[in-house]
Amino acid sequence: MSNINGKVYAMNAVTPMKPWKTWILRTIFFVLGHVKPLQNDLIDLSFIEFARWVVVPRSSFPFLGSGQSKEDLRYDYLLFFSNFNGTWNQYIDAFSAVLSKGLNLIWRWSEKFPGSVPVTIFKEYISRVQFDTDYYYTAYPHATANDVKSAHIVQSSLNGLSLAAGECNPEQFAEAYLRFVLQVQAHLGETGEAPIAG
Amino acid sequence: MPNRNGSVYGLTILSPIIDDKKATPSHDLQIRNYLAHLSTREESPFAQAPGTHLARLVVMDDVIYVGMPAHEEHLKSKYLIFESNCDGDLDTYLSGLAAAIPDHLNAVWKHCVGYPGAANRQAFIDYMKACQLETTFFFAAVNDKTVTETLRALQTQTAVADFIATHQGVDVATLQREFIEFVVHLKSQPLPRPGSMGPHREIKTGGRNE
Repeated sequence: MSNINGKVYAMNAVTPMKPWKTWILRTIFFVLGHVKPLQNDLIDLSFIEFARWVVVPRSSFPFLGSGQSKEDLRYDYLLFFSNFNGTWNQYIDAFSAVLSKGLNLIWRWSEKFPGSVPVTIFKEYISRVQFDTDYYYTAYPHATANDVKSAHIVQSSLNGLSLAAGECNPEQFAEAYLRFVLQVQAHLGETGEAPIAG
Repeated sequence: MPNRNGSVYGLTILSPIIDDKKATPSHDLQIRNYLAHLSTREESPFAQAPGTHLARLVVMDDVIYVGMPAHEEHLKSKYLIFESNCDGDLDTYLSGLAAAIPDHLNAVWKHCVGYPGAANRQAFIDYMKACQLETTFFFAAVNDKTVTETLRALQTQTAVADFIATHQGVDVATLQREFIEFVVHLKSQPLPRPGSMGPHREIKTGGRNE
């Protein structure tokens, strides 16, 4: 069991919601999904590789028969899965500091959610509703979300210069190469093992 | 569609685990035991099958009771959660899994209710879809690149940093010639294997401060 693989941490959380409230949350997510500027804070938290919220209605837990008992639940449930870089404490601290309004908007419909500020009580709540990952795989464990974004910028710039390289004289190439270096210089950070949080 | 963000698909599957009082150890423990011994690096089943950026398998024992005045309730089944962030459309991805790693799939999902096995491709896909949950909101930091493109880009990033560092002050004719050679050489390099290049670090607990 490990919530960590390389530079990525897998978080799982499940919180109960009264069924009538899930429709409010669905509406919020619908608006969030269709009004891209509302995602800016999430994008600015650039240590999140993938995250998802799944509302499971109380009657929609998979039922396959074959001796399985059908669930009989009073609550709908909100499942949250996140893949982020850094430690659990760094993540929750940053979420609370940067996205407190957004977090409250999403989780205030869950039972007993205390609010994302102050962070100590928020962390106690997350600890209660979190469950651990049994198996965690990533195709690029040495890279953070920012490493991946930077790598694609370097790749794109290199592709552009490669096309021009064979068709210009050395002086023209030198100018193009200088522009290329300026484009990529902030995106060449070394990937590798993550520092150990103290 | 909320399951998709750009070209990345967010797959969420909840498979009910067989509840057999006579099974020793119980089926959920057998899943956990199998997963505990599975490589998470380039030998991982997900590295052998195409198209997985990140994936996790989690045994969900029960829902969480948050205390009064909330109502305390419990699940009647334990569930195996399979959460994957993958390339392409769902049928292609599931077919790729069934073709590449049928033994691993069978070893894990044989403990789940109604699992038909990976040999019958269509039955496998139908089963997974029957257990699938629709994502309500899916965020992807990079949503337009495949696993292959990302591995290639990370390889390029390292190589470009080295090239720039070693070609400072080189005359322009040499720079151009060696750059062209560098690009040809880079393209000829084998792609890093998915799951590779990670640090060899023993993590025993997955503790929250690691």
